[in-house]
This record gives sequence, C-alpha cells and structure tokens, in this order.
Amino acid sequence: MESKGSDDLELLERIRRGDTGGAGELFERYAPALLRFTDRMLSDRASAEEVTQEVFVKVISRAHQYDGRAGVASWLFAIAANACRDRRRRDRRAMVVPLEAVAEPRARGEGIESTIASRQRRQAVRQALSELSDEQREALVLARYHGMPYAEIAETLGISVGAVKTRIFRAVETLKAHFSEGESWTAAT
Amino acid sequence: MDCRDVKTIALDRLAGEADEASRRELSAHLAGCENCRREMGRLEDLWTVLGTDPDATVTPEFRERSLELIEEEFLRRRVREFRPRTRSVRPFLQAAAMLAAGAVGYLIARGLPSSSTASPTPVAGSAPRAIATPSAGIARASNTGSAVLDLASNPRFSNVSYRPADPDGRVGIEFDVTTRQTVVGRPEEPEVARLLAYLLSRNAETAGEKSRAIALVSEHYGTGSATASPEIVAALSATLRKDPNPGVRKKAADALASFAITPEIRTVFLAALVSDKNPAVRLVAVDALAAAAKQSPDAATIASLREKAVDPQENGFVRAKAASALKAISF
Repeated sequence: MESKGSDDLELLERIRRGDTGGAGELFERYAPALLRFTDRMLSDRASAEEVTQEVFVKVISRAHQYDGRAGVASWLFAIAANACRDRRRRDRRAMVVPLEAVAEPRARGEGIESTIASRQRRQAVRQALSELSDEQREALVLARYHGMPYAEIAETLGISVGAVKTRIFRAVETLKAHFSEGESWTAAT
Repeated sequence: MDCRDVKTIALDRLAGEADEASRRELSAHLAGCENCRREMGRLEDLWTVLGTDPDATVTPEFRERSLELIEEEFLRRRVREFRPRTRSVRPFLQAAAMLAAGAVGYLIARGLPSSSTASPTPVAGSAPRAIATPSAGIARASNTGSAVLDLASNPRFSNVSYRPADPDGRVGIEFDVTTRQTVVGRPEEPEVARLLAYLLSRNAETAGEKSRAIALVSEHYGTGSATASPEIVAALSATLRKDPNPGVRKKAADALASFAITPEIRTVFLAALVSDKNPAVRLVAVDALAAAAKQSPDAATIASLREKAVDPQENGFVRAKAASALKAISF
C-alpha cells in the first residue's frame, strides 16, 4: 500500500475538527481501494457501495478514537472488514444475488464482447472467492488485490503474521480445489 | 529446503514477501524437482486467474452520493440531540406549574397587576409534559400609552421600522419582539407532533433546516416504538413528493421507510419510484415497497418493481435492487 501517513493524519485531524473537506479528501484518497475491497468481500456492488459509505460515516464519528497504533490505511481497511462481516451476517442475501444483476457499470467505449468476457471472468473468480471463509477471503484479497504486506494485513485484521500466512495458504488450497473440480484453469481467462 | 516448504515459499514469492535468499533457494529446488515445478506452475496460474477479476470503480454517481452523505453526516452531528425529559422530571414540572398558577392567583386576589415579564408558565396545566414560555412569537405595540414593554429584560427586536411624525407630532416605531420558546414533550404527543409537522412543512426554509427536522422526526418515530402521527406522515409525504432538494427527499424517504407502511405511504413510494429523478430516492422506495410487499404482497407494488427490474432506461442499481426484491417476495 502506498504510504501517505502524515497527510492521512492531517486529514483525520481536520475531520475531528468537523471539516467536511477533510472527509471529502479522505474519500477521494481511499474510496477506490475500499470499494474494490468491499466489492470482493460482498460480491454485490450495491452492498459494497453502501458499506464503503458506512466506513466513511464511521470514520467521521470515530476519528477521535484513532490512536495511531496502526496506519490510517490499516485502520480504514479494518473498519471496512468489520463492516463487511457485519453486513454478511446481517444480510445473507448478498451471497446469492446473481452477479449479472449487479454488473459493474460498463466503461465507455468498451465493446460488447469484451464486456461479456469480463463478466464471465468476474463471475468465475467471484464464484471461487465465495467458497472461502470471510477470514481467508479478507487475507487473500488484501494480499492479492491490494498488494498489502503480510505485516500490514496482520495489523489490519488484528492477527499475527503467521495467521495471515496460514489463511492465505488455506485460501489458495481451497481455490485450487475449486478450479480443478470441473472448471479448467483457463475458463476464467 | 524440501518439497513441503515449497508451497509456502512459493506463495510468499507471489505475494512479494519472499526475501532474496528464499527466492534463490526456491529456484534451486525447482530446478531439480519436477513435481514442485508443476505445483509452482499451478500456483502461478491461480494467482494470474485471480488477477483477471476486474476492479470495481468509483462511478461519478457513487462519488456524488457519498460526498453528499458525508456532508449530511457532519450536519447531523452538529445538530443538538432532542432529548425528551425523562418521566422522573415530570412531578417537578407539575409542581412548578402548580406553584406558578398559585402565585398568579395570589397576585390577582391581592388586586395587583401581574407583570408581563412573569417567569415562564405552562401552556396548559393539564398537559404538564408540554411546556412553553409565555407570549406568542410576535408582540406589536400600536400605542405608546397602552404598550407594555419591559426593556429591562433586553427583548430582541426584529423588523424594526420608523414612521415619521404625524400632525400631532407622534412618531411610530414598529418592530417584532421575538422570544425563544421551548417545547418539551414526547414526539407522539399531539402538541409536539403538530409542531414538528409544522416546522417540517412550513417553517423550514433551507435544506439544512428541513434535514434537521426530518432527522429529529425519523430518530424518534422510526424506532418502531411509537406510531407516527398523521400530520408527520403527511408532512414527510409532501416533502418526498415536492421538495426540490434530492438530499432532503431522500431523508424524507428514509424516515417514511422506517415507519410501518400504510396505504398512504405505499402510494407515495410508488409515485417516487416512478417519477423521482434521484436514483438514491428510488432505491429507498424499492426497499420500502419490497419490505411491505414481503408482509402483504400487492399487485401495484409487484407490477412497479417488475417494470423497474426490466426498464433499460433505469439506473443499474435500482434495476438490480428491484430484481432482487422481487425474488424475495413470495407471490
């Protein structure tokens, strides 16, 4: 993860003082990454957007609780991970909403064929990811899609580095088994 | 390194966590072990496949809605919370009301004029939970001889204007005297409910004022413990139908959605689903209608949700929400 430590602290300080602009800047900085994370955790675009917004609302109310022990990015992802767990517990429907119903808005100029291929890839990977436990998925998503070092993942999830490695290892084993059962490795590519 | 360590170190390498020594050791092992080379290949393929999943992106609509929400959250946090007095305070209020009434009676019995600056008295002795300070918001003095104005209490004047001297040499000074009123009571009490509805529908001039009034209403009526008064429902319905500000309409929709859905509320949501320009408002309408239809499915709701679910002109999220809502309704 890109480190923007002191800037982030300044933004949190502005939020503490009730400066809307500070929260807006924090949103611009972290919303893309948090949305990617929540989208993969929940496999539902609408829920992912709601949870991402929830993260920022929580940041506004909890800015004064931030103690600086973890980086701001880790703190935000920790809030997002907890919010995703809560959401999945509360609304199991998120797991059965068909992905085609909540497809990513098509990028301008994107052709139909590439859109279909992109949706198929998305479905194949999301289907596989949905077989992981929340814990395994969190660790894998942060490592694979956010390039977070093990130590930072550990800080975010409140576990040891060893536990991070174990979760990722088990996640990979589950995915390998998933792809080797009926679906070819290249089906998703 | 033996074959059992390969998977772990291979994963570390893929995640960018393997140090130089481990990478060299792994390469050396792979060079001489066919099985581990295959395993490494499988892991690399899997890592690549995972990477083909396209990232979700922040759309302009999501960004706009989120920044609006952030602003609302700050606004909400600035609003002082409305806290009805607890039941334990009531006996003291009742006692104070009786004492004040007794004092006024005593003064009248003694033949003394009661001062216009008397301390606050209850609006009605029979309703001790709703208390107001005296005097209506505006006092007008039309004649210096009869006007009773106590300047010692530092009253706040507004809308002051002056009339030049008339043929008798009398000048005119016109002004409003505003006094701050405090009404305390439970939101379900008719006096408080009427006041809130009035503030919502007539007196809130800016979007911020309306949002604060709605937040107060929704916080206290939306808990399910109290039934919202018809005045409140009518005021929120009118706001949802007519308010030009989408943020205010959404707040009104959220508040209505938290009430038990009545036919009137359902009608307002059906209209909002069809004609509200803001997708966030339509999303709330879908949720509210779907929740109501789960309890008691009705033809109009199901038809509207079906239309939305297949409407190519509709916003993707609203369409998806309508589709998933229909799935949850048992016909």
